[in-house]
Amino acid sequence: MDQSFVNVHEDLINRCRTGDRQAHYALYKLYAKAMYNVGYRITRSEADAEDVLQEAFVNAFRNLASYRGDATFGAWLKRIVVNKALNLIQKRRHEPIPDDDRWDVAEDEVVIEYADDLTVERVKRAIDGLPDGYRTVLSLYLLEGYDHQEIAEIMGISESTSKSQLNRAKGRLREVLGDKKNQER
Amino acid sequence: MKDRLEEFVKQNRAAFDDQEPSDRIWNSIENAMGNTIGIGPRQRWWNTVAVWRAAAILFMAVSVGLLFWKTTPVRTADRTALKEFNDVEAFYNRQISEKVEMIGDLQPQENEAGFTQDFQQLEAMYMVLKEEMRTRPTKKVKDALVLNLLVRIDLLNQQIHRIEESDKKESADKKKAEA
Repeated sequence: MDQSFVNVHEDLINRCRTGDRQAHYALYKLYAKAMYNVGYRITRSEADAEDVLQEAFVNAFRNLASYRGDATFGAWLKRIVVNKALNLIQKRRHEPIPDDDRWDVAEDEVVIEYADDLTVERVKRAIDGLPDGYRTVLSLYLLEGYDHQEIAEIMGISESTSKSQLNRAKGRLREVLGDKKNQER
Repeated sequence: MKDRLEEFVKQNRAAFDDQEPSDRIWNSIENAMGNTIGIGPRQRWWNTVAVWRAAAILFMAVSVGLLFWKTTPVRTADRTALKEFNDVEAFYNRQISEKVEMIGDLQPQENEAGFTQDFQQLEAMYMVLKEEMRTRPTKKVKDALVLNLLVRIDLLNQQIHRIEESDKKESADKKKAEA
């Protein structure tokens, strides 16, 4: 990662460390929307995403001392948001992400063809319709930019589970997005 | 595993962040943080308005004292002081008008009341001292005049620094918000 990018908010963060309210607000404003969307994609609930955002920022602000600048502030904060959101859905749904050896067979990566009329709205709706496990892995991979090793670590699953969940999620999306196209024809 | 969906999401990544967080979240964060935030930027003791006001008031008191000082007849040494002073004054006045103009350009409306008041009082005191310098030039009056100019330049520098800092903050915040 580009070193100059890592500490892009160093000045702001240092001011936060002195208790500067304006700096806290500026940092919040910079990241609130992106982080809220990260939380919303995982929890799929406005109220939960708000709770996640609030807790994550309070947590981050209180622990600024432990932020050492070895990742971007955004990446550090996003990790906190993802963890809070995952805790929340796991508590709420009592539905652990399956990490069963039977599903751990690394699947061949399939080249998937989608309909030509992909729109953000349709893709979003299709992702929203996925079960928690698929949706989380797919969101972390496609939208939040984590690789399988990171997803495995974040979610406490194996890398091959992460891969197979992603493949299944994509399969499900293809069905939904492809079906739509067929209906329209 | 690159497929059209991945490409599509990558190209339209920003459009996927379409949810807007509510404004009340910041309030909740602030409340939860208690008094650990909100004390404002830590100011150096010498850079506080109170200290600068005190300096200005002290300086005015010294100026008034000087005016009532028993004046001695004009001596040759004091005539030299007057001549020297004219050069120094021209130099500092140029600096002052440049800085006043700069502040006017940077922040036309938002003059801090306290700052303007102090500055005007110093200016008024300066006119009185200058009259004294004209009629009974002494080294003491000259020193007081120079000190008055220096205090005003310092006040202006502080003000410019404050404006620049807040501009820097604003533009940096704006840049980061756009990024």
